[in-house]
Amino acid sequence: MKYNTRHILNKIFTVVTAASVALMIVILIAVLGPMIWRGSSAVFFKSTVEFRKMQLDLHRRGDKTEIDDEISQSEVYRDFIYHKIDAFKKGINTDYYTDRVKKIYRQFSKELQYNGIKGDELSRRRKFARGIRRDMEKAFRSLNKAEILQIIDNINKFKGDERIANTKAVEFFALADEYRKTIKNFDLSKRQQYAQALEEVESLVKQLLGPRSNEPLPAMIMDRYGATRLDLANELLGKIIWKRQWVQQSSGKPMIEEKICRSTQFAGTELEDLFPYIEENFDKITIPRFTFYWQYFIDDSTSGHYFGGVGPEILGTLILTVLAMVFVFPLGVISAAYLVECASENMVLRIIRMCINTLAGVPSIVFGLFGLAFFVLVFIPFFGGPSKPCILAASLTLAVLTLPVMIRASEEAIRSVPKTYKEASLGLGASQFRTFVKVTLPAALPGILTGVILSLSRVAGETAPILFTGACAFGSVPKSLFSQTRTLSYGSYDIAVGDKIGMLVPHNQYGMVVTLVLLIICLNAIAIFFRAKIFRRLKGH
Amino acid sequence: MENTITNRETEPVADPSGLSLVLTPLEDLTGFLLHHLGRLLLLLITSSSVIAVFLIFFFVIRESMPFLKEHDMVEFLTSKQWYPEADTPKFGALSMIVGSAYVTVASLIFAVPVGILAAVFLSDIVSFRIRELVKPVIEILAAIPSVAYGFFAVLVLAPWLQNKFGFTTGTNALNASIVLSIMALPTIISVAEDSISTVGRELREASYGLGATRFETIFKVVLPTAHSGIIAAVILGMMRAIGETMVVWMASGNAAQIPTPWWDLSQSVRTMTASIAGEMGETVKGSDHYYSLFATGVLLLVLIFALNIISEYFLVSAKKKLGKI
Repeated sequence: MKYNTRHILNKIFTVVTAASVALMIVILIAVLGPMIWRGSSAVFFKSTVEFRKMQLDLHRRGDKTEIDDEISQSEVYRDFIYHKIDAFKKGINTDYYTDRVKKIYRQFSKELQYNGIKGDELSRRRKFARGIRRDMEKAFRSLNKAEILQIIDNINKFKGDERIANTKAVEFFALADEYRKTIKNFDLSKRQQYAQALEEVESLVKQLLGPRSNEPLPAMIMDRYGATRLDLANELLGKIIWKRQWVQQSSGKPMIEEKICRSTQFAGTELEDLFPYIEENFDKITIPRFTFYWQYFIDDSTSGHYFGGVGPEILGTLILTVLAMVFVFPLGVISAAYLVECASENMVLRIIRMCINTLAGVPSIVFGLFGLAFFVLVFIPFFGGPSKPCILAASLTLAVLTLPVMIRASEEAIRSVPKTYKEASLGLGASQFRTFVKVTLPAALPGILTGVILSLSRVAGETAPILFTGACAFGSVPKSLFSQTRTLSYGSYDIAVGDKIGMLVPHNQYGMVVTLVLLIICLNAIAIFFRAKIFRRLKGH
Repeated sequence: MENTITNRETEPVADPSGLSLVLTPLEDLTGFLLHHLGRLLLLLITSSSVIAVFLIFFFVIRESMPFLKEHDMVEFLTSKQWYPEADTPKFGALSMIVGSAYVTVASLIFAVPVGILAAVFLSDIVSFRIRELVKPVIEILAAIPSVAYGFFAVLVLAPWLQNKFGFTTGTNALNASIVLSIMALPTIISVAEDSISTVGRELREASYGLGATRFETIFKVVLPTAHSGIIAAVILGMMRAIGETMVVWMASGNAAQIPTPWWDLSQSVRTMTASIAGEMGETVKGSDHYYSLFATGVLLLVLIFALNIISEYFLVSAKKKLGKI
């Protein structure tokens, strides 16, 4: 081969290898970047007045007078919106008018009876009023504007009729006028269509602003408040102003999403200027404010993680990992000490080493099966505990899982203690045991701690082993070692896949997993730092 | 016992503080016994990992025994019919075995070249300082928990794949393979790098001295010498991919089917691990379905055990080979 070709090949090779490392860095950024970016919005975000209201209601956080002040400020704009919607609703849904006309009629007949009118006179006047009532009901039902106006005109002719003069029934005319006004700018042929669109708008407005103050409080906490975050509120605003629908452009082609401005959808009606109004006064309605919601890490969450934080999950993860460490630490260190200090290369040692390697390779889900079959069904019941998944079973399973990590790390740490330390101690007459406890172990301790931290991070992230041995998606903070617990790892799974409500609150989905990832990365960073320090010390002097 | 004075000839010298440097026979005996008992105790504690492995095998196999006794193993391994909850339940795990193999192989196709090239880059091409900078990246990739990778697969990668390539579903074999390969990378890189850097300086320098370029040196000298270690690295990466649960459960779509045509990565598959994780929560304890999941676990365990022995063989042979040189 020519020298040049060889040279070029060499260069290409270097670039390709560098590219593979670069690719890895890109992957790391692609995986972590969006996760951390979106997850941080669970803690740092712009909150609306609804958020502050919720915090006050649920946790008594914030200044009550200040928040009440904010609420009354936004109430002004909200009332206007509600007023608009209600006014429009009357034209759509004439139940309101029908009810009123019925009520007037009822009051009218009561009034007559009260005034002592009886017999034919009573039935004659009631019959007349009933006639008007029927006409009006017909007008409310009708979709033909001309017909309605004619009916109303007809009714108005009876104004001042002696049969109903000076009674409740005169209110019929006021009602008829009101109805005439309502339908003035109203395309009645679109009533059905409007009804549907209005329902959509109403539910969106409810999601944005929360239930009205005169409504009964919804049972679910997630329904009690409007959009608590500005990003969610903005999304809703977009949905309120723009209606999205899938339109078939031509047959055989895929549907295309089309945006329709709702102002045009409601053009010519009372509701037309509602949408620009909401958009213009959006800040005054929501009163956004930058919030650092550090309580995310201690708060419990409402059902489906809709509101609140990951407090119980963090607590559960810590309990499980620390407990697992308590079990595995002595076992790991003693095993490592034996492997380094006492064992000679023979059959026993080979078997032990092979088992450690096997243990390291066993799939985590098999650990889960083992935990279920052994700790849950046999081990804990044997000592009189309940035979059900619990924290103790889960942490024991995790301890077995992390045993090889612990042994390897401790072994390495003990091995890296300079021989001179040991020899000096032995030379001074200390026994082997004493030498190990007083000299080797303290010198190896930082390395062992590094191993502990790495095992902790491994244990904290494991999900499969605790699926059947002690993790649960819901439930209160664990009261004893024999209850199940929520954990960050299982919670991340559940909020991403298991729970439908989670999809509504992406910031909480990402927040949960980022809490887990950051916890683990922090642990790892500490371990890496520690190790670098030890490395320097052992190398240095 | 080498550190105690055991000279019986001299009279015990009375120490002013009342301590004697010379041990009485009883003290000597207890010391001897304590030493050996202590060692025995340590050995017992150390064998806890042996006991753990034994217990894992024993209990997982014990729970699967009712299934293995009653059902035909051949059917279990060769039938595609997996209807554990039907009126006449059928337990054919073939589609799950194939699913596991499918995503594993697909992930290795990506992970092995990238992993080995990255290992070469780190061991042979860049300076120590850059290597120290890249190492934490690998460590963090290895440390990210599998559930976080699964989360990424479902909420980030799946919608992206669906929009970009127009797949019917974003949670498919391709998605699972991509994420599994990311997870297998750190294992492959660290083991391969270890074995590549243990290839001696002398070999490399001899090759350079003969006028070979770096590319030729690495491809014709270093990699062939380190091949056992690299094979071990690939097998360890494979073990990581086969045993992985959360990612495949979340990202592979969980349809118990064998993709047709076989190369179509955009179809959903289901792996053994995912079927254990997904179905165990819904079974009644003591039902055939429950035992069959343990049988799947046994299958997985045997597979991993075999792979482990193979990788061990290659690692040992790598050590021997490099030891000789």
